[in-house]
Amino acid sequence: MPEQLSDHARETTLRVARAMYPHDALPDEAYEKVVRAIAAEAHGNDAVTETIEQGVAELDSPTPFARLDASARLQALRQAEGSPYFALVQATAVVELYDNPLVWKAFGYEGPSVHRGGYVDRGFDDLDWLPDPPIALDEDAAPRGSGAPR
Amino acid sequence: MTRYRYDDEDVIAIVGSGAGGGTLANELAQKGHKVVVLEAGRHHAPEEFVNDEWRSFKQLAWLDKRTTSGSFRVAKDFPNLPAWICKTVGGTTVHWAGCCPRFMEHEFKASTYYDGIEGVNALDWPITLADLEPYYDRAEQKLGLAGTNGIPQLPANNNYKVFANGAQRVGYRRFHTGHYASNPVPRDGRPATIQDGFAFQGAKNRSRWSTLYTEIPRALATGKLDLRPEAHVIRVETDEQGLATGVTYIDGDGLEQFQRARVVAVAGNAIETPRLLLNSATSRFPDGLANSSGQLGCNYMRHLTASVYATFERPVRMYRGETMAGHIEDEAPNDPSRGFVGGYYLQLLSLGVPFMAAFVDPGGWGPDFASVMEGYENMAGLWLVGEDMPQATNRVTLNHDELDQFGQPVPNVHFDEHPNDLAMREHAWTAGEALYESVGAVGTIRTPPYPATHNIGTARMSERPENGVVNRFGQAHDVPNLFVSDASQFTTGAAANPTLTIVALAIRQAEYMSEQLRSGTIPTAGHAVWDGRDPGGAAPGGDASELAEQPANR
Repeated sequence: MPEQLSDHARETTLRVARAMYPHDALPDEAYEKVVRAIAAEAHGNDAVTETIEQGVAELDSPTPFARLDASARLQALRQAEGSPYFALVQATAVVELYDNPLVWKAFGYEGPSVHRGGYVDRGFDDLDWLPDPPIALDEDAAPRGSGAPR
Repeated sequence: MTRYRYDDEDVIAIVGSGAGGGTLANELAQKGHKVVVLEAGRHHAPEEFVNDEWRSFKQLAWLDKRTTSGSFRVAKDFPNLPAWICKTVGGTTVHWAGCCPRFMEHEFKASTYYDGIEGVNALDWPITLADLEPYYDRAEQKLGLAGTNGIPQLPANNNYKVFANGAQRVGYRRFHTGHYASNPVPRDGRPATIQDGFAFQGAKNRSRWSTLYTEIPRALATGKLDLRPEAHVIRVETDEQGLATGVTYIDGDGLEQFQRARVVAVAGNAIETPRLLLNSATSRFPDGLANSSGQLGCNYMRHLTASVYATFERPVRMYRGETMAGHIEDEAPNDPSRGFVGGYYLQLLSLGVPFMAAFVDPGGWGPDFASVMEGYENMAGLWLVGEDMPQATNRVTLNHDELDQFGQPVPNVHFDEHPNDLAMREHAWTAGEALYESVGAVGTIRTPPYPATHNIGTARMSERPENGVVNRFGQAHDVPNLFVSDASQFTTGAAANPTLTIVALAIRQAEYMSEQLRSGTIPTAGHAVWDGRDPGGAAPGGDASELAEQPANR
């Protein structure tokens, strides 16, 4: 049994992660983080390594995954959904890909804020394409329940 | 630091340091009682909190193994994480957002209002809104709720602007930025919110109320509290009379310890609390401690919990500002003409990119999922929180096939949604979508329930011992020196976020417990008749001859 993932398995897994969560604006670097996490899980774990190598082999059959176009890759992944390899890549990618300041920046999320004083002076209320609504409205003359503003 | 002896027979042992346990500890310490708080988690200072969703989750969340069963989707999406709560000093008040509606009158009367619905194990609370109102007043003051006690409302943040404009356009008439436990202005020795956008990761600047930096340090300052972090209680011990004698726990060094106690109060959240009592079975209590009713662990509720996210053509940046500072009340009344009983609130909600990916559509992938994530900056969000029906078959049990790090059976959470829950969720999703469409949403997403932040009902209050686990003061019907002090004691869940009610009940329970201890009404192991000593070590009080029936049953 191999102790480490083959280069081919790593390359294919990167393509699989990108096909699962396709963001054209993101560089391969963002997906490499996913592959590193999967490789770390496989490291020294024959069962996980075998799951990955087998999952890659299935995606390469009959046509190597690398040679498929985008829609064929999606089709291949739909067929693989439910396999242990698919589950491993999906569960890892959805965490690792989006837990990355590089990705946050691409999507307009600013991440940690306390060290910059929060947003109280940096636009927590800068939305200007709607009118400013009331911060409290109670148009019912007769209060119902007890949840009404007091 | 106060440290009581393991064999000190005067201490009150409290399991858990969150909204229930932490509040109870301070209230009792202020009254002069000797209190030991046993908290399974570590003691983190707010400075240690991190503005990073996954790192914070690993720091604060209760990650001890749990199992799930039943048809709810969480059992498939998060099979070992039925609840998203905290394991740290301060408990789940460390990561809560701060929404604090009161219960409504009818929500104390499920049996009256919801009776006759198949599969609902409805029961009226043994108390009414009027009983709780004075304690709600005190709890709101303690928590410093925006919009109460002369404290201003929080300002509108970006996410609220979308939410409230939508509310107006669909015709809602009662909404606001929340009775919310984060300071709009400095108060009670804590600063105003800096609108940092991180609620579920702990308030680093302490602007949001948590027992971690309010109740607990105040209790410590009395010299009456012995706070023991990393103390995981595995059993409540009882004697041949059936009275609690103390608790057995595993300390931070992995050693088993026994802390004697005159009273034990359990506040470990509605999964750990019944787990602990079930795990404390003896030959006298073969079905678990305080379970002669058979209701212990049953009637587990987790609230409606669903969300709607919407994307717009222009930026929202919902992550800026107080995470849940928005609250619509119009759907909360009980109006069965909608096709379900009970009601729900719409509340503001925002997640960062990491948790949006994890929760927006668990298991989701592909181009549509990617497109949702790319719309993050233009996204607004709301949460739907409503009353779910108590069902006897929704329950916490011990899973003897899986043991935890201490060799104890892990809790299993079984949950099937009631048709009323499903009808309410469908209505709520539709209402949330309509709200966002009215202000120009280009797309909306229905997000399913995720691991429960509100866990309720597994040791419920009842007037009669055969219907529930504890009486109107949270005192076990079967074991008079055992109390339940968290949302496990809720008879039903109401639509409201539970923390305010947990705190109000804890204040009330402390008052009751203190009076009963001073008068000697609560029998204590080894003291068949109360010996008249003041539990706090002050002047003798009480009258040994007054050992009487349980006051709740008078």
